[in-house]
Amino acid sequence: MWRISWKGVVGHKVRYGLTALAVLLGVSFMSATLVLTDTISRSFDGLYSSIYQSTDAIVRGAQAYDPGASFTSQREPIDASLVRTVKAVPGVDAVAAGIEGYAQLVGSDGKAIGTATNGPPTLGEAWIDVRALNPLELLPGGRAPSASDEIVVDKHSADVGHLHVGDRVLVLTKLAPARFTITGIATWGSADSPLGASITAFTPATAARVLGQPGKVDQIDVQATPGVGRSTLVQRVQAAIHTPGVEVVSGQAVTREGQDAVHQALGFFNTVLIVFALIALFVGSFLIFNTFTIVVAQRMRELALLRAVGASRAQVTASVLGEACVIGIVASAGGLVVGLGLAGALKALLAALGIAIPATGLVLAARTVVVCLALGTGVTVLSALLPARRAARVAPVAVLQEVGIDAAPHLAARVLGGSGTSAIGAAVLGTGLFASVPARVAFVGGGAAVLFVGLALLGPLVARPASAAIGAPLAWRSVPGTLARHNALRNPARTSATASALMVGVAVVALMNVVAASTKASINDVVNRAMRADYVVSSGGVAGGSSGFSPDLARSLARLPQVSAVTGVSGGMARLYGSPTTILAADPRHVDDLFDVGVTAGNLGRMTAQGIAVSTQAAADHHLRLDSAVRVTFPTTGVRVFHVEAIYSARQMAGDYVLTVAAARQNFPLNLDFQIYVKVAPGVTTAAGRSAVEGVIAHYPNATLMDQAQFKANQSAQVDQMLNLVYGLLALALLIALIGIANTLALSVYERTHELGLLRAVGMTRRQLGATVRAESLVISLLGALEVLVVGTVLGWAMVAALRSSGITSLSIPFTRLVAVAVLAGIAGVAAGAAPGRRAARLDVLRAISTE
Amino acid sequence: MISARHQLALERPGLAAPAARIVAGVKVYGKNETAVRALDGVTAEFARGEFAAIMGPSGSGKSTLLHCLAGLDRLTEGRVILGETDLGTLGDKAMTELRRDRIGFVFQAFNLVPTLSARENIVLPLTLAGRRAERDWLEELTSSLGIADRLAHRPAELSGGQQQRVATARALVTRPDLLFADEPTGNLDSHAARELLRRIRGAVDDYGQSVVMVTHDAHAASFSDRVLFLADGRVVRELVRPTTDSVLDAIRALET
Repeated sequence: MWRISWKGVVGHKVRYGLTALAVLLGVSFMSATLVLTDTISRSFDGLYSSIYQSTDAIVRGAQAYDPGASFTSQREPIDASLVRTVKAVPGVDAVAAGIEGYAQLVGSDGKAIGTATNGPPTLGEAWIDVRALNPLELLPGGRAPSASDEIVVDKHSADVGHLHVGDRVLVLTKLAPARFTITGIATWGSADSPLGASITAFTPATAARVLGQPGKVDQIDVQATPGVGRSTLVQRVQAAIHTPGVEVVSGQAVTREGQDAVHQALGFFNTVLIVFALIALFVGSFLIFNTFTIVVAQRMRELALLRAVGASRAQVTASVLGEACVIGIVASAGGLVVGLGLAGALKALLAALGIAIPATGLVLAARTVVVCLALGTGVTVLSALLPARRAARVAPVAVLQEVGIDAAPHLAARVLGGSGTSAIGAAVLGTGLFASVPARVAFVGGGAAVLFVGLALLGPLVARPASAAIGAPLAWRSVPGTLARHNALRNPARTSATASALMVGVAVVALMNVVAASTKASINDVVNRAMRADYVVSSGGVAGGSSGFSPDLARSLARLPQVSAVTGVSGGMARLYGSPTTILAADPRHVDDLFDVGVTAGNLGRMTAQGIAVSTQAAADHHLRLDSAVRVTFPTTGVRVFHVEAIYSARQMAGDYVLTVAAARQNFPLNLDFQIYVKVAPGVTTAAGRSAVEGVIAHYPNATLMDQAQFKANQSAQVDQMLNLVYGLLALALLIALIGIANTLALSVYERTHELGLLRAVGMTRRQLGATVRAESLVISLLGALEVLVVGTVLGWAMVAALRSSGITSLSIPFTRLVAVAVLAGIAGVAAGAAPGRRAARLDVLRAISTE
Repeated sequence: MISARHQLALERPGLAAPAARIVAGVKVYGKNETAVRALDGVTAEFARGEFAAIMGPSGSGKSTLLHCLAGLDRLTEGRVILGETDLGTLGDKAMTELRRDRIGFVFQAFNLVPTLSARENIVLPLTLAGRRAERDWLEELTSSLGIADRLAHRPAELSGGQQQRVATARALVTRPDLLFADEPTGNLDSHAARELLRRIRGAVDDYGQSVVMVTHDAHAASFSDRVLFLADGRVVRELVRPTTDSVLDAIRALET
């Protein structure tokens, strides 16, 4: 049987070529993702190991809970006097006091280095004199900082900002911006910088002033004298320290923490890419199904012959599945190799984008090989299952007869199966969207996939009337149009399956468009309703992020006579009711002037440092009233109890919990404002107000001044950016769908050789014949696009409904965009029909009409 | 009298020329050792209003001759002249349009587009050219072929004989200079075959249609005015006003 399968594939290599290409593309995406993330995590594993090679123990503040991956310290600083205590412990060879904080370099072009939004962090730290304990390695020509205005910067930032040794550069910290002289440029281990983060190293004294607190350090790195074991060292240091809230851990443990943080950060990245790889393979499975259905139909006689000479049904099924297996394995192996190349290219691209990855070879794990081969082959064989079973039903006598192509399943069976599958898919999807179940993403993804299969089963029912309607204008007084319409109608199952492949890819685009448009509408709505401030000064960062503005900026703005109210907004992550939650903090004295958050109880303006304001939603969820106690666990300072002093409704603006700036300052490690809201004083013109504010923020190159309209546009732009990312990731799935259309048409052209030859013989020109095939492609893709508009819009609506609690309250359906998507799908469809159309036009008339 | 005929010929120059002729036609398939001379110097004329049959054993070149005459294939050497047009001078587009406007075809099978109705199939060459069918002509043609009541049907709903008559109607709808038929009765039972041949004969007698038909059936050939016998790519014999018996005798004579 294997022999027959192999010959079957080789004998039909042109027909199977595009199928294999679809599998190959999907698998290569998968393999590139796995190889890239493996490579990145392997190289960082190595990097962390080498950096902490000489660090035998670390003394640092204990955490109330682990807030997860973070590049900035989420710990309470410890007393600097401990450095001397640790140094005195027998067996300690060297110690280094580590101080970390926010420091952002300004490049020679006057722009801050590093974007705050989703960009790599901007870190400041104390220069460590003990070479073995310092991850930074000075490049030749540089020296360590020795004066209070000297710094060392990482090589990546130096390259990006065109900074050189001897330059005086502006550095943004939690204090007012100040100038420093670069005395050296350093690498971070063998990398230019960790994942593209920027690092500014100050003298320990300066670091304590501009990054930390006087008399405090963030951690103490300890190196043991030769011969003293790590665990012994940890025990001895532990014994010497009596301060509560201080822990001693081994260097290995910290290495693992660092590696875990990278793995966790990559894990998200990985998941997103794998989801899109799976979408691509899912789209590909429609194509595979279609190809096998058509090829089996075309080879009815050949299969009947196999049956006639004594092959059992099982053997016929096995031979077709064997072909699928061969294609799957060959294409997956190809995909694996292409993916390896792709990963290399992506690595170079990331490096070009400033996310530097240490130079190591690509990592091809055994797991990658197994996953890619199993997935590619599995998808191919699974998609070929139904066609293979259909092949087995061929009666041996068919070898003597003309048999009809594609015995379509019973109408009733189709309706039943299709609606049943759709219902199951919708139910699973609904559960994932609306119920609180673990692994919601799996529910949503799996449900959507099942729903698509169900809709594809129902497709042929709609395909007939829909193609007739779509084709009608094409058919008007045009022979190619008429023929194309008839052809699309001839086999609704095939037309529909082809259109479905396109539907899956484009439906996600449509869905994302609905979600994006609704998000933007909600943002506009909230800003219009809740924002009384005239201006927002934004750092582009987020609450609790590693960058933002020194509180100094808000204070400077508040001193302006042209300004009546100012508050900086800061925040961070803390644990409430068992889950990590973002808490915002603002100056209560001015909130009422700057926002209308819809206070329903209490008084926001008079909130105290012991008070907390909660949203109506949070109040309902946790049965909170004025004066209720709220336990908040901060990673650094542990459990604190606050009392509800105000309840508000505008959670889209303010989140669920708001503290005072004073409370935030005590409990969050970094107190940077990520936004500052400004209201111009009465009687001052907007222009005057704006220029006054601009004058102050000129010292902060990371600040952007926006009025309400600009703020809305800026928020929308961020949504669009996400949307573009999704488009990019979906491009592959769409490409595969288009290959599917091209493949189906090519197979149809092959199947209709006689018919096309006849048309040419009776006087159809090459041009007309090509137009016929392209018109059929247009009908198919418009059918797919039509299905998309319906399915994508409905799914988008469901998604928006599910996200209601996350602050997307307005449903907005972007009709023009959706129509544009449909039009583009149509154009792409015509393009997909170009090659088969050309092939049909080139057909040799004589060979086409002569009987086989 | 002579001047009158001359006058007529000047006004309608096509009338004087034969419907089609092939001069020293050679067709070679393949190259070098594998080359096959399917036509080996064929010269023949087909008069206007004549029903000619081409016969010969398999491999004698009869289908090749038909394909070259009909502009479906090109000669390696020699010329094919249809009316006044030398087919050798035409490009693909001109050749396609010539087939569409001046030639009609009936094949053994695969004559109809399955997705189009009988009527749509018949007018296909006209619609391809962007023209409309003359209603009277279409009515006359379909009723004389006995398919006037089947026009709304798809090919799959017609019998084999009806399909071939629809194909004949399609071939004649453009009033072509020449109708080419390649084994048109090959897939039909004897009754349907006789019916089809009678209708083709009728077209020759009633409209002065010129017809060239390839067949291996002596009975089919007996409907023609003249039979050309081919062997090894050459015309080896001609039979005027054939009967089934005379055709069979000629075949027997050629085989010995």
